Amino acid sequence: MAAPLELSCWGGGWGLPSVHSESLVVMAYAKFSGAPLKVIVIDGTWRGSRGDVPILTTEDNIVSQPAKILNFLRKQKYNADYELSAKQGADTLAYIALLEEKLLPAVLHTFWVETDNYFTVTKPWFASRIPFPLSLILPGRMSKGALNRILLTRGQPPLYHLREVEAQIYKDAKECLNLLSNRLGTSQFFFGDTPSTLDAYVFGFLAPLYKVQFPKIQLQKHLKQLSNLCRFCDDILNSYFRLSLGDG
Amino acid sequence: MCNLPVKVVCRANAEYMSPSGKVPFIHVGNQVVSELGPIVQFVKAKGHSLSDGLDEVQKAEMKAYMELVNNMLLTAELYLQWCDEATVGEITHTRYGSPYPWPLNHILAYQKQWEVKRKMKAIGWGKKTLDQVLEDVDQCCQALSQRLGTQPYFFNKQPTELDALVFGHLYTILTTQLTNDELSEKVKNYSNLLAFCRRIEQHYFEDRGKGRLS
Repeated sequence: MAAPLELSCWGGGWGLPSVHSESLVVMAYAKFSGAPLKVIVIDGTWRGSRGDVPILTTEDNIVSQPAKILNFLRKQKYNADYELSAKQGADTLAYIALLEEKLLPAVLHTFWVETDNYFTVTKPWFASRIPFPLSLILPGRMSKGALNRILLTRGQPPLYHLREVEAQIYKDAKECLNLLSNRLGTSQFFFGDTPSTLDAYVFGFLAPLYKVQFPKIQLQKHLKQLSNLCRFCDDILNSYFRLSLGDG
Repeated sequence: MCNLPVKVVCRANAEYMSPSGKVPFIHVGNQVVSELGPIVQFVKAKGHSLSDGLDEVQKAEMKAYMELVNNMLLTAELYLQWCDEATVGEITHTRYGSPYPWPLNHILAYQKQWEVKRKMKAIGWGKKTLDQVLEDVDQCCQALSQRLGTQPYFFNKQPTELDALVFGHLYTILTTQLTNDELSEKVKNYSNLLAFCRRIEQHYFEDRGKGRLS
């Protein structure tokens, strides 16, 4: 437990410690569980790897993917779900599945596929943090990966067409946001007064959507109408990330 | 569960007949509706619904658990059927291609396998081993078992579409013969899930005389 834990992830902007959902999930969980993470932000140098981010490095382990990283942290006794009942633990798994199936496709689309957003915001932001000439290739590859994931999980080729799929994924995402808002109600966190894994996931997925300034913002507009979800994000930002708001 | 009169028909080209390319689909009058979600909506629009009695929070929970089943159980089933070489070779390939003449049976089976592998890779399951997949199934079953607890159905006395979905998957896992029994063993570890399946089978399917759960 004394070994330094280093997290490589994408950096922040627009008031967020990171604009990348998965990185944000891990950062939030670390704050909630008290894990001492040394955050290494990917910048334009060749140091560190850029694929498969976020990556947790310890003395003898390299762990990628948020679910595995969170599992690893729990085994190191940094457990934010200590006080949850078995049923709440089960609910956590179910809501995370809901986020991944219903909300993620639309978030991916907003960031990586929607042409205006991608070319004016996402691509320049990521390209500026990747060393040349990788900056010419990697954003495009990430965009293709996002499109692929949306199409493969939402329609069966060759019967899919992006336009039909688009309408459906935004409809699903708005419904998902409504469900989350209903479930949160007026509580501070999803399971009482202390934040847990589910709060980390919801924050990770919602915060970039909430804060990043995009030209095409239909999903963001919908989110902003759900005031309890916005309050949830702002609360976490203010309580847990106040000191790192200077990062850009 | 809604007491609707249904006639089940098996067709080799079912996937092509469906408007979205996925089975199952229902054919009512001159309308065709496919996949569980839209079918539930359609039936609801005609006045039959199992989840009307739930409040907003419960409906959110129900949808979340349905996604969990889709996310984990369905993907694990697909993985086992199409990405586990032993199962593919011995069972899936033959079974999927059986309605077609040679060489169509091989071509279609390979094509389907390629499509499923592509999808697995896109969602990050491409590098998973069978053990990791089984662990995920175990986690999912544990969550379902904890949510069900000692109640007869997931939302206490009345079944909902979640019960139908869970039953569909668990029953298939328990009764389909595969090269190894590890998947069904994972489910059998949870006695309340087994009891749940038996109960639904007896209550809703007994007149078919096809009880196969031992």
